[in-house]
Amino acid sequence: MKGGTSAGGAQVINLPIGAPAPPAMRPPRWDVDDWGRDSKLVGLTVRLGRLRWSLTLDGERRLPARRGALIVVNARRYALTPVFTALALGETTGRTVRFVGRPDVVPFGPVLRRLGGLLDRADEVRGALRAGELVVLGARPVVHPRRVGRVDHEVIGAAVSTRTPVFPTATLTSPLTGHARIRIGSAARPGRRRRGPLSELELADVVERRIQRLLDELGGAQTGTLLDWVPLGVAGG
Amino acid sequence: MAGRRVLVSGMGGDLGSRVAALLEAEPWVAELTGLDADPPRRRLRRASFDLVRPHEHDRIVDLVTTFDPHVVVHVAVWEPFSRATPARARQFTDDAATSILGAAAECPSLESIVVRSGIEIYGRSRGAPTRPDESAAIDPTCEYGRMLAGIEATAGAIGYRVGIAVSAIRMGPVLGPHVPSPLGRLLHLPAVPFSVLADPPFAVVEDVEVARAFAVAARERLAEPVNVVADGAITAFQAAWRGGRVPIPIVEPGWAVGRLISGLLGAPVPDHVIETLQRGRLADNSRMIELLGFKASTTTIDVIDKLYAWPSVTRVPAREAAA
Repeated sequence: MKGGTSAGGAQVINLPIGAPAPPAMRPPRWDVDDWGRDSKLVGLTVRLGRLRWSLTLDGERRLPARRGALIVVNARRYALTPVFTALALGETTGRTVRFVGRPDVVPFGPVLRRLGGLLDRADEVRGALRAGELVVLGARPVVHPRRVGRVDHEVIGAAVSTRTPVFPTATLTSPLTGHARIRIGSAARPGRRRRGPLSELELADVVERRIQRLLDELGGAQTGTLLDWVPLGVAGG
Repeated sequence: MAGRRVLVSGMGGDLGSRVAALLEAEPWVAELTGLDADPPRRRLRRASFDLVRPHEHDRIVDLVTTFDPHVVVHVAVWEPFSRATPARARQFTDDAATSILGAAAECPSLESIVVRSGIEIYGRSRGAPTRPDESAAIDPTCEYGRMLAGIEATAGAIGYRVGIAVSAIRMGPVLGPHVPSPLGRLLHLPAVPFSVLADPPFAVVEDVEVARAFAVAARERLAEPVNVVADGAITAFQAAWRGGRVPIPIVEPGWAVGRLISGLLGAPVPDHVIETLQRGRLADNSRMIELLGFKASTTTIDVIDKLYAWPSVTRVPAREAAA
């Protein structure tokens, strides 16, 4: 900016209107998305996870290419199954995959939010599904590796209200061998068309049964003894 | 629809004068008038303006009822520490809302009210939705959010009693080259504090987009709230990084000290900005297309980059001392 004096003695200020803007600083890209997910951190976590786990994923072609979907998985207590499923699916499909169930306390909440975590609220999930996101929901965690817990019908209701398909999915992991398997079933549909909230209750039941069936289909020896509870082979959510 | 009288409260501010400039270009607006405690910040060609303070209740009632507007656009909201201290901002906002909206309710021609609100209205209590949409519960957890909730409640009550359309533009933190934003001022400091344990994301919006939202809401007689924020999000650390500022990590007890230092450096920080830096502030803007017919053309990151590109105030010393 330059100043000068006109003939009448008034001070003239030349503002730099129309001057080219200074080149914007281009720091390294390190952004978060609309929900606070950090794709760089997700990529790093996936690479670290590969050092420990080998993964077999099948059925991912059933997922819609662009639209949103709710993927419901069985979960074993303390196993963080929805987190690992979301990371694995995201790596395979190349899409942003979020999971339900991050806490809202520091430091775990912010870290899980960077990995794609959503709060366990139906309205939060509804927003993500409406935006066309893939969302992984864990059934209620159970101790037995071959059982599936209750599926939250309120979150299923978010999928019903946004007309989003719901995919029952079975996960099996073996901490000893480091192998994990994810099988995505075909989209579940409620048995009868309902006008009220019964549809979400019935769909949650259908999803639960379908996950149990997928778990049974994945096989593995069933001895009927305490050995079934130990993750020796590919077993357990 | 043509030949409507429009009243813009808060026409003196940057946002109010932008809204007025857009409404001047609307063919359905026959007469446009504005009220504020400060004169308009940009040249308006058709609008008339009355300089009036928020506490001049009788004068406001007289001006509003004489004009008898069809549409009232209520922008007269003082964000704490933008142009007034939190206590005065609360008082001015409350006075203006009561006087102007109350007077508008007495006007027989009134058809719709558009009020300025903000996404602070949703609150950031523990477990609150990360990206609340317009149907989320109103549960403000900061002073500014409570002020905005009060305005929405007042306008809603008037709309219910009089039977008119009432809409609220729930905007994210507004940034612009001439917007007195406490968040913008804080991010412009040489060192920017961020929460080391959380560093949550927040979204902002540019002033031109918000002004456009007001103009469309007034034209369409919108009858529901709408979130107006830019796409994307950014954290305080990332914003500081992009702007070439020094990020200062802060844990919970240090915020009081950080707030004090920031105030001494000329950027006082109100509680809603502290809440933004500690808990984040996002909102679901997916209904903007449906309700307003447009989406913000700049993302949050673009707005932050612009914030650092906008020139600072250039002080030009007087050539000669005044006699």
